[in-house]
Amino acid sequence: MLQIAEKTFDSRLLLGSGKFATSQLMQQAVTASNCQLITLAIKRLELNKPQDDLLAPLRKMDIQLLPNTSGAKTAQEAIFAAELAREALQTNWLKLEIHPDPRYLMPDPIETLLAAEQLVKLGFIVLPYCSADPVLCKRLEQAGCAAVMPLGAAIGSNQGLQTRAMLEIIIEQAQVPVIIDAGLGAPSHAAAAMELGAAAVLVNTAIASSSDPVAMAAAFADAVRAGRRAYLAGLVSTEQQAVGSSPLTDFLAAR
Amino acid sequence: MHILLNDQPLQLSTNCSVSELLQQQQLVSEGLAIAINNTVISKRCWPEHKLQSNDNVQLFQIVTGG
Repeated sequence: MLQIAEKTFDSRLLLGSGKFATSQLMQQAVTASNCQLITLAIKRLELNKPQDDLLAPLRKMDIQLLPNTSGAKTAQEAIFAAELAREALQTNWLKLEIHPDPRYLMPDPIETLLAAEQLVKLGFIVLPYCSADPVLCKRLEQAGCAAVMPLGAAIGSNQGLQTRAMLEIIIEQAQVPVIIDAGLGAPSHAAAAMELGAAAVLVNTAIASSSDPVAMAAAFADAVRAGRRAYLAGLVSTEQQAVGSSPLTDFLAAR
Repeated sequence: MHILLNDQPLQLSTNCSVSELLQQQQLVSEGLAIAINNTVISKRCWPEHKLQSNDNVQLFQIVTGG
């Protein structure tokens, strides 16, 4: 069971709700993935445009809603977005993300730490999206974050675990769940993250932008389960030379 | 009195509450958040919170996102 703050989850796959062609498809992907945590965003309302009924079906699914602060470029903006999201969804759970640079969407570590420290004091359950920096992840943990969400690669880049060596250190040191966020483009990437000992992964683009998002959601769910089981089973070490699996008898040789 | 609603000028009767404004705009409160003069107004205060002349009212809504 995955435990974050006081809540437990059977599923170790978190879903991002963006980029799905329709909200029906997003709901079907949620069902297919058995995910129990889904991220949402907040933005200014466009007046005279009908409000779409995004939340009612998710509320029925009994899934933890995790609003993010996407769009915030500073700690101050993120705190404002967090307070809005808390009122909009009546939850103190928050995915903190601050990425001022639109090209790579790299999280700003300094603003993220500043915001995390304040948001924890304001009573939020803070899950920060952050660089795969072991020192930063430790500082975020010490600030009271309920989990850390280091990136595998740039958001939406589908490049997999580019930060693998750093993730290993983060996982080794962490006292809170490490959720690998961003960059996971294939179920094999998610399985690899779970094999490293990640507590969970968050996937959005690779599912939502697939030609069959519902089937891909199920594929990611399988991969996350397989990776977790392999981690628990204990992966064998790699060797430089061959180590035979069959007895090397000399029965083919003439006696 | 005049207020700004997401940058649009709007004429309101005096003593209009946040809840009344939302009703008038035919907005449902689920997934909605409101800030007045850059201060977030708690949902439980919406029925009593009276808007003041020249208030800068910003409405936000939950949308999909990763």
